[in-house]
Amino acid sequence: MLKISPEEIKLITKYIYEISGIYLDESKKYLLETRLNTIAEEHGCSSYQDFVKKTKADATKVIERKIIDAISTNETLFFRDTGPFQLLQHKILPELIDARASKKIGFKTPLKIWSAASSTGQELYSVAIVLQELLGDLSKYAIKLLGTDISDAAVAQASSGKYNKFEIERGLARDKLTKYFTMAGQTWKVNDQIRAMANFRKLNLMLPLIGLGKFDIVLCRNVAIYFTLEDRKKLFNKIADVLEPDGYLIIGSTESLTGICPRFIPKRHLRSIFYQLK
Amino acid sequence: MNTMTILIADDDPVIRKLFEKRLSKEGYEVTVASDGTEAAKLLHAMPFDVVITDLVMPGDIGGIELLNLAKEKSVEIEVIVITAHSSVDTAVDAMKKGAVDYLEKPVNFDELFLRLERIAEVKALMKNAGDLREAMDVTESSAAQTIQNLEITNSNLVRLLDRLEDILGDSRQDEFHRIEQALQILESR
Repeated sequence: MLKISPEEIKLITKYIYEISGIYLDESKKYLLETRLNTIAEEHGCSSYQDFVKKTKADATKVIERKIIDAISTNETLFFRDTGPFQLLQHKILPELIDARASKKIGFKTPLKIWSAASSTGQELYSVAIVLQELLGDLSKYAIKLLGTDISDAAVAQASSGKYNKFEIERGLARDKLTKYFTMAGQTWKVNDQIRAMANFRKLNLMLPLIGLGKFDIVLCRNVAIYFTLEDRKKLFNKIADVLEPDGYLIIGSTESLTGICPRFIPKRHLRSIFYQLK
Repeated sequence: MNTMTILIADDDPVIRKLFEKRLSKEGYEVTVASDGTEAAKLLHAMPFDVVITDLVMPGDIGGIELLNLAKEKSVEIEVIVITAHSSVDTAVDAMKKGAVDYLEKPVNFDELFLRLERIAEVKALMKNAGDLREAMDVTESSAAQTIQNLEITNSNLVRLLDRLEDILGDSRQDEFHRIEQALQILESR
């Protein structure tokens, strides 16, 4: 395996930070080696210095994309941590539907939800399933679900709506599995009616959030933890800008906005917390 | 040590006996069924890790139907189908429907043992991953409660401070009145 020398570690962590905002300190040398080794060898690099040089020179950005796919953590599952989904079902969505009823577009109640780090799509499809179960007839609503992630590979899988049995088994109750997924060989595919509710695209949260419009609900769970404190402040400030004045923000269950963004107030419902603008 | 429980479904008594003998000798816990219907009943009544089934069996329940029943019961049950050389296409079809592997007749037991070992390895890894996630979930939910409490407490204190700042800085009222009001708020906490 190609080893990262002490001189190279700063170079490579700085480069990864520049392209993704993911901050890794020097103690992550082993993790970097195991995740990047194959790509470096595939492109015939003799050292990590050579690797960074080649990647920067690559106008097609193919290597850069591969690095992002390899470095970004895609640990996610359907209904990861039940709290936020119960929060959506019993508190946030009923409140929002009431509030939005007066803003109907034609006969449809508008609802815009953004999963800011959608990974391979499980979170957004879980939201879609909650919506389907709660609202029943979706033709009365103009629902827009957007999922974004920095990894092309994650976005591609999310768009395909296909999951292997390891990804499907945990978190998803049997009745939901048979109701909303179809098995094809060793993979499960999310049904068209759920798939059609969601859109996925690539987005780097470090960059300005342009052209997204405003959202009623933003889920930004377990992604800011990979960023520096300064970048977290910037990110949640940008999220505050794209949230409707009475919109809802849900962050990871072990995350906090204390000292990060004073524009949000935490509110508790049962065992979960959500945030609203001051 | 092989600890998996295996259900064999084959209408040929000689093959059935052979499977039972060879697999038991390797330490697997083996149950046999003489057709799909009997296998379906056993599948319903007992837990199995692996089902090994002949594709073609007399009666209403053939290998494919048994495969579907097993996957319906639990996606964790792995199914290996046995097929005649001439019907490999059907075996491939079975894999598309969720079978983990297929074996051609006559069954090469060394090959079967290798595949069973692989299945056991994957199951062990799955269990390990499951255990890790469970441990992570417990840690996460415990940390989450602490963080949520701190988050709410902090937010309330910030609001209290803001209020005190407003009151104490309100130049329209005399100092004594301001301090009295501030103390009242602090006492009523």
